Amino acid sequence: MTATLLTVLLLVAPLRPAAADGQWVLDQSTPTYHISHPQHQSEGISHEARGKGVCHAGQCDFLIAVPVKSFDSGDTNRDLHMLQVTRGAEFPMVTVRTRLPEAVLGSGTIHAVLEIQFAGQTAQYKEVVFQLTAHGNQIRLTGTVPATLSDFKIDPPSLLAIPVKNEMPVRVDMTWHSL
Amino acid sequence: MPQPAGITLSGAITDASRAAVPNAKISVKNVATGQVTETQTSPAGTYSIANLTPGEYEISVAADGFDTKVAKVRLAEAGQQALDLALTAAAGTAAPSLADLGFTPAQAQGSAQEQAWLDKRSHMLKIHQRLGLITAAPLVATLITSSGAGGRNSSASGRELHAALGATTAGLYLTTASFAIFAPKVPSVKTRGPIRLHKAPSWEGWPLNNAATGRRCMESPKRTQRQPG
Repeated sequence: MTATLLTVLLLVAPLRPAAADGQWVLDQSTPTYHISHPQHQSEGISHEARGKGVCHAGQCDFLIAVPVKSFDSGDTNRDLHMLQVTRGAEFPMVTVRTRLPEAVLGSGTIHAVLEIQFAGQTAQYKEVVFQLTAHGNQIRLTGTVPATLSDFKIDPPSLLAIPVKNEMPVRVDMTWHSL
Repeated sequence: MPQPAGITLSGAITDASRAAVPNAKISVKNVATGQVTETQTSPAGTYSIANLTPGEYEISVAADGFDTKVAKVRLAEAGQQALDLALTAAAGTAAPSLADLGFTPAQAQGSAQEQAWLDKRSHMLKIHQRLGLITAAPLVATLITSSGAGGRNSSASGRELHAALGATTAGLYLTTASFAIFAPKVPSVKTRGPIRLHKAPSWEGWPLNNAATGRRCMESPKRTQRQPG
């Protein structure tokens, strides 16, 4: 009797779900860099970012990549000069890698450690804050990466012999969906 | 008959990026006898199995997140033998790569030649910019001296000075323009932004300036003298 009861209980008891593998795909993203000069402010925006996330055993690895030449500031001359100083022809992609616990992909604020490869250099940014909102199988992440030109050993361009500021914050607005 | 000295098989287990794979399960099976010896890799990804006898072995390596790797090895001599193996990430568990995002190798691979070409373009445009600023000085001087180069109050020295400054301005203007004209162009890039406003007048400005200064030179006393008295 006891054995039968135990067997029934084992059969009906909810099994703890194992960490299932999952994937995320970047639907839409508009990374925007901002450069400041005493006489001029400029922004360049890209619409060609692609990204993918692979989740396994409770951890998700994300990769986002953007072609450097896809950034558009509205001025061809400026964009070509940007491409030259960032060595965009030699290192054509900006890549961002991060690993997040699958559990944080709900709603709220997440703190990510980002590894960014740009202009032939690799820089790590700790505790980058993203605001996350979830809708069904979609999540939206917004935040700003506090990048600087010196992080990637980029010589600051100058206008009328005055160099631009070292700070180059990159605003990110991403929408992902899970497969 | 004495038993041959034991053979120690050791090595390192790594992933595709040559990072160590700790806690990987190693199974070494003697093909002839079927005897299996098991161990697992250390935190540094290394393993060592001692007291093996000569013969054919099948070594199997299994680790979470990786496809099981099977290799065959023949142990012949006593002593140490090394076997390093690299594991392949199991499908759907590896971190994504650029190829996974659909970027072609051409998009992901850079070109040092193209970069050198961009560097040359930027260098020439920088010289163009600086020469342009330098050209402003004789241009202003030409305009200032234009009043003494024509009309009743003109003098030969005034006209000569104006002509010399105009010639210098023209020379510098052409030199400035040449650096922009001959700077490498980027094919299939449509010019947008304020640069369009700079390119058009720089071509129109030259003949206009020429016409203006030429007209001034036409009003010299030398021509007036030809008129019948």
